[in-house]
Amino acid sequence: MKKIIFLLFGLIACAYCLFPFYWTVVTALKPPSKIFSLPLEYFPWPISLENLYRVWEKRPFGRYLMNSLVVSGGGTFLSLFLSSLLAFRLRYLPVSRALALQRWLLIASIIPPTLLVIPIFMAIKALGLVNHLLGLILSYTVLNLPFGVWLLYASFSKVPRELDEAALLDGFSRLGILFRLLLPLSRTGLAVAGILIFIFCWNEFLLALTLLQDQSHYTVPVGIALLSGASAYEIPWGEINAAVALTTLPVILLVALFQSSILEGLTAGALKG
Amino acid sequence: MLPYLEFANSIFSFRVGKANLKINSKGFFFGAIVKTFLRILGLGVIAVLLGVSGTCLAQRVVLRMIGPEDVNGAWAEIIKRFEARHPDVKIKYISGPWSTDDRQNMYLRSFLSGDPIEIVYMDVTWTAKFAARGWLLSLDPWFSPHEGSAFFPGALKAGYYQGYLYRLPLTVDVGVLYWRKDLVSRPPRTWRELEDTCRLHAHPPELYCLVFQGMQYEGLTCNFLEFLWAAGGQILDEKGQVAIASPEGLSALNFLRKLRLKNWVPKAVLSFQEQHTLEFFLKGRAIFMRNWPYALRLINQSPLRGKVGLAPLPSKTGAPTPGTLGGWGLGIARGTKAPEKAWAFIAFATSAEAQKILYLKRGWLPARKELFRDPTLLRENPALKDLYFLLERARPRPVHPQYPRISDTLQKHVSAVLAGVETPEEALKALSETLKFIIRGSRENYLRRLLLDYELKETLAHTLFFSAVSVSLEFLLGFLLALLLATPFPGRWWVRLAVLLPWALPTAVMAMSWQWMLNNPFGVINDLLLKAGLISHPVDWLASPEGAMWSAILADVWKTTPFVVIILLAGLYSIPRELKESLEVDGAGPLKRLFYLTLPLLLPFVRVALIFRLLQALGIFDLIWVLTRGGPADSTRTLGLYLYDLAFRYDEVGYALFLTVLFVFFLMVMSLLIVRLTTLEYERRS
Repeated sequence: MKKIIFLLFGLIACAYCLFPFYWTVVTALKPPSKIFSLPLEYFPWPISLENLYRVWEKRPFGRYLMNSLVVSGGGTFLSLFLSSLLAFRLRYLPVSRALALQRWLLIASIIPPTLLVIPIFMAIKALGLVNHLLGLILSYTVLNLPFGVWLLYASFSKVPRELDEAALLDGFSRLGILFRLLLPLSRTGLAVAGILIFIFCWNEFLLALTLLQDQSHYTVPVGIALLSGASAYEIPWGEINAAVALTTLPVILLVALFQSSILEGLTAGALKG
Repeated sequence: MLPYLEFANSIFSFRVGKANLKINSKGFFFGAIVKTFLRILGLGVIAVLLGVSGTCLAQRVVLRMIGPEDVNGAWAEIIKRFEARHPDVKIKYISGPWSTDDRQNMYLRSFLSGDPIEIVYMDVTWTAKFAARGWLLSLDPWFSPHEGSAFFPGALKAGYYQGYLYRLPLTVDVGVLYWRKDLVSRPPRTWRELEDTCRLHAHPPELYCLVFQGMQYEGLTCNFLEFLWAAGGQILDEKGQVAIASPEGLSALNFLRKLRLKNWVPKAVLSFQEQHTLEFFLKGRAIFMRNWPYALRLINQSPLRGKVGLAPLPSKTGAPTPGTLGGWGLGIARGTKAPEKAWAFIAFATSAEAQKILYLKRGWLPARKELFRDPTLLRENPALKDLYFLLERARPRPVHPQYPRISDTLQKHVSAVLAGVETPEEALKALSETLKFIIRGSRENYLRRLLLDYELKETLAHTLFFSAVSVSLEFLLGFLLALLLATPFPGRWWVRLAVLLPWALPTAVMAMSWQWMLNNPFGVINDLLLKAGLISHPVDWLASPEGAMWSAILADVWKTTPFVVIILLAGLYSIPRELKESLEVDGAGPLKRLFYLTLPLLLPFVRVALIFRLLQALGIFDLIWVLTRGGPADSTRTLGLYLYDLAFRYDEVGYALFLTVLFVFFLMVMSLLIVRLTTLEYERRS
């Protein structure tokens, strides 16, 4: 009996959480003529791929996806690289000092990005990288660095220090220890950090909106938020929903595949909202 | 996984005095920073080199411009003809968003970034702002004044700022009155005549009297200015002082209110832009319509063909009211490497040849008078003669570097009067005070401004309300969900996945989804509520202040509850089973266990979640920007949006940074306070 009640509540929670996504997919699969018609259809049949086709063929959506991939991939790679270096150095400090240093990193990183957008814009401008994907990659790297350091430091510390010393005796260089011993041993931590940072970059909107001006540089969120119709007055909701569905799909797959590690990483990080 | 969380907690209980940065760590830390910096610098240099070599290889001057999507290829045609004559220049037309405001922001950011988009394709209202900041090159060295008589005087005048020409007009627009020839015998000249006609002929809800653009956007400013000018008033006087608080200003607002109260104007105008107005008129549901000349072409393709006439707008006294001047023009950004080439393009694009292309392919009225006498154009559209008369009298909007803010303020209060939220007297007073602050305030020092800043107070109130309500709701819901997920039941893995998902989806993108779900009348939320019998007719959620705020809260709760669940769930897992069991043995009921065991042990986790969530909610941007852009009537504008507007729309970077620093300080103090208040006695001792 108790189990059934719980199951019922679970179903309600599922419906509540999934409904917006379900509705997006339903709208995306309706033929364009049915989107603006009443009464609403909750289970469209037959489905139509017209909207998906339009957003793919008639709009630079492929371009947006490429940009998003480049930016998120680049940002993830750079932050993982730099944060593994930093976490590696922190490993050789006394634990209390390492934690104290990370405390400062954390404090810097919980400031909402809204408040950082103006300083970041000025910094990227000084580098001459406004309207350049590299500028966005660098800002993402900086924003995600504390989180990466934190996760990697934690997973490095699961590896006993004696192993390092043994490796040193075997003639490994310092960096050799990092790249050939520590990183392979903390694969899981690295993967979790990578997935989470990738999701953060993939979802980021404000900086992408501010730093990129040229439509050919838009990432997916900016592209969708500024997607407009053939005139200023009609909003192409079918295509927007198709684009939303296509964008969220990779994220959903990532989350479904790595659910428990993501939960663990987030709890460890408890960092981003 | 728990040690890290405890660690996360410990981070908030740090003390500044502890001097944690010792020399050793410092050296390393800064070393790393310097290295990173050098790397970044290196990458920057490479990028710049690549960019430079790219332009050198091209060997052609590339000039960029941003415009709306080039429907019918009008610009492609103009650019093709220009490039045929100037093979050394390449024009790159960047197809920007439709919203004028978004395109203005794109230009603004390009000027701020130091890599300006060379050719500035600008609306009539941008000139003063861009010129005042020194972002535009004066066109006077190239433009000889006697050519000026070829353009409409108002359109050319709008390109001048403090005596220098910065913008050459390309197309023009003017507010005109469309009237139904088959319903009334002649257009009204005065407000009294308009009222009489309304009383006689209008019978709402089938047939309203007048429709215009009443949504809160630039169009409302244009419409209101026409009412103000019709009453003989103005926003700024000759000396640039605020002059709206006058009997004329009051009578304009009163007249608007009267039109609405008598139901001569439908309530729906509050959500009307040009297109909606025209659709309403084309359905035959209004006698008069205020719109731009583009509507004529569409009217002539509809069943109303031949039944509609053009007239100047009525005024209080009977003298024809000037229509608001609109239209687009071209200027050159300062910092352009080849200004002569840019000028060559502008000269060509504003020539009669190019303006004719724009008129024929897009229907945009040329800024050159001679085209209105062109026999081929006149044969195709005889109404050009009437339009010529109206365009010659068209009046530009106030020329002021702070125009965007002036217009925002006007829209807000005029729409409040139309909606009946403010009385005309209240609106006029608030309007006058805010405008005075905008015009005077930019000269004050930051601290003084802080005290005068009316918008800051408002946005702060919205931010606090939004954060308080949505964070409390999230904790309530999150706690329940966490309790649910902490108990094993079949299918728990799937439920946990579903609960986790909203957090992982992109906020800005899902905000688009919410906007669609809240749509009226095609949104699913209206449909569900109707089916459940909770509302009797579809509600326009995003059009009313309360509706928009609660919509934003709803979407935010949906999006961020998972985060609270994740943290609290970890907390629940950390409570040892044995404790629970031993309490049970002692005879404590479920409620007692909740209050004496679960909640106290959960407190450290609540603290972490609370700080993160509060900081995120106070700094919210993505969701609200996409969902409502802060509207309607600025009712959902939060601090994040205000700071963004200040820096990237109003170009007040210094003041924005000042506010940012204050805000960061406030957040820090607040976080420490939360830590203090949620740390129990025994925790502090340990």
